[in-house]
Amino acid sequence: MRNTGDTAGRGTWLLTGAAAIIWMLPLIFAVLVSFRPQAEPVSIGNIFFGSRITLDNYAAAWNIAPWGWHYVNSILFVVGVLAVQIVTVTMAGYAFARLRFAGRGLLLVLILLQLMIPTAALLAQNFATIRTLGLYDTRWALMMPYWGSAFGVLLMRQTFRGVPLEFEEAARIDGANWWQIMRSVYIPLALPAYIAFALVSISSHWNEFLWPFIVTRTEEVRPLTVGLNKLYSTTELGALYGQLMAGTLMVIAPLVVLFMLFQRRFLESFASSGLK
Amino acid sequence: MKPALRHPPLFKKEPPMQDTALTASKAVSLPWSRRLLRMAFPYLLIAPTLILVFIFTLYPAANAVIDSLYSIPRSAREAPVFVGLGNYADLFTPDHFIGATFTLVIGNTLFFAVTSVLFSVPLSLGFALLLNQRMPLLGVWRFGIFYPALLPLIGAASIWAFLFSDTVGLINTVLRSLGGTTVNWLGDPNLVLISVTIVNIWKQAGYYMIFYLAGLQNIPRELYEAAALDGAHGWGMFSSITLPLLRRTSLFVLVVNFIFAFQTVEQLQALGQGNPGDRGTLLLYLIFKTIPERRNWGYVNAMTVILVLLLLTFTIANFFLFERGREDADA
Repeated sequence: MRNTGDTAGRGTWLLTGAAAIIWMLPLIFAVLVSFRPQAEPVSIGNIFFGSRITLDNYAAAWNIAPWGWHYVNSILFVVGVLAVQIVTVTMAGYAFARLRFAGRGLLLVLILLQLMIPTAALLAQNFATIRTLGLYDTRWALMMPYWGSAFGVLLMRQTFRGVPLEFEEAARIDGANWWQIMRSVYIPLALPAYIAFALVSISSHWNEFLWPFIVTRTEEVRPLTVGLNKLYSTTELGALYGQLMAGTLMVIAPLVVLFMLFQRRFLESFASSGLK
Repeated sequence: MKPALRHPPLFKKEPPMQDTALTASKAVSLPWSRRLLRMAFPYLLIAPTLILVFIFTLYPAANAVIDSLYSIPRSAREAPVFVGLGNYADLFTPDHFIGATFTLVIGNTLFFAVTSVLFSVPLSLGFALLLNQRMPLLGVWRFGIFYPALLPLIGAASIWAFLFSDTVGLINTVLRSLGGTTVNWLGDPNLVLISVTIVNIWKQAGYYMIFYLAGLQNIPRELYEAAALDGAHGWGMFSSITLPLLRRTSLFVLVVNFIFAFQTVEQLQALGQGNPGDRGTLLLYLIFKTIPERRNWGYVNAMTVILVLLLLTFTIANFFLFERGREDADA
């Protein structure tokens, strides 16, 4: 994100820093507590460090749930959603951007209804559908409701419309078929939009909890967020905070690191999406 | 998932379509099978999306309306009984077992939504004004404000569960060290909803900030320079240039905030699960908690329909506010 503002004065800088540090306190303390010995809770006069730095909490948290599977499932979930979304969104985005056909407006409106009726609100009925389809407790159940993305269709439609028509015509004269035109003209030019879409899609599905929790039962198909819930309910309803914070950090670390590496890209993607 | 909203850049003036009439006239010499394929092509392209939207949005929405009109008897062998709007009537009957909870939860949800908006909108604007300046460590500060938006709700909530914890929690430890009385953040029925709202404000402020940052960067610098020549500065510039030109962003943030508030419930799983006595429960979480009770299927669906209608209202409001805002800006 560009910065077009003025250079900040000393007072503004201090204010900004103070606000940011206050906002970071929960994370800072989560990290500190995760490395404290469990027997030394935060107390007056001793709120920062314990007597030693220990990895015991991480070891204990690691043993409560099959985290290896949870990582695999979270990755399969976000990748499986994104991969299919990119295909469906590219196809429909192109049709709505460049082709003229009967019912185009009506069909677009039908798809856009998905933006107005978020999948999260239809939890109960979609759960029933997944049972009917015989997909309960499978990884497919996690992904399927997100395979079609009205937001993605809208984004791609808008992006493809920005591609000069002459490029497509030139490729067509050279004898390129539809897929060759997509591959050589539209997709490369739309790369920034794909990246924005991918970042938004990945971060929202990585964090999904209620839906995976409802449509799965076996630990081995559940993603990280559901593992964290198990950790929460087994650590004596969260009384073992060292373990809980260690587990929480294991879950959030990948996204936080990804964000630190690509901060600018993330912010621009989120800003242009208007959607999480 | 999550709402979806019209953000300005997505909708622009439409450039010309490819003229299929032209392609059609060229196609006359093609065999009929190729012609059919060409006609069907656009539909084939949108079919996957359309089918998925049908299965996971349109069909369940319609089904929720139908199921909300039936009551499931205790015995599994009996067929559902048509009760008309009976389930809805029960939901709004305060002395009915579900009605008591539902009316409480609707109140909670409105409080949660309105309070979140009241605090997170000014906060996010303030953060954006601060971070829209050049300064050392800008990236670190921006990370500090924005990172909560990236966390899974349940992860953010479990961190706050520690901060809020009655005995070993950080906030109470600090209160004790300052000589104050400790507070049972998640156990006190009068406080639990406020605690849940605090987490939401903390989490969303950074997210809304990026829209304000984008909005601020769209304000031409010349406006400020011209105003400075006229002798305006500080508050005068802010109230006469910045605020009015951020009007559309503010409307957008306001509505998104409201829509989110009706869908962000996962944090409750780690923040007391709506207890004590559903004083902390929000609408979608109530639906989630009611699903396992087969007998309450009618209520689950009636609540779903109400939630969807509320969300539709906000989305449509968003749409009209935006169209209005755009005309004003063009004029």
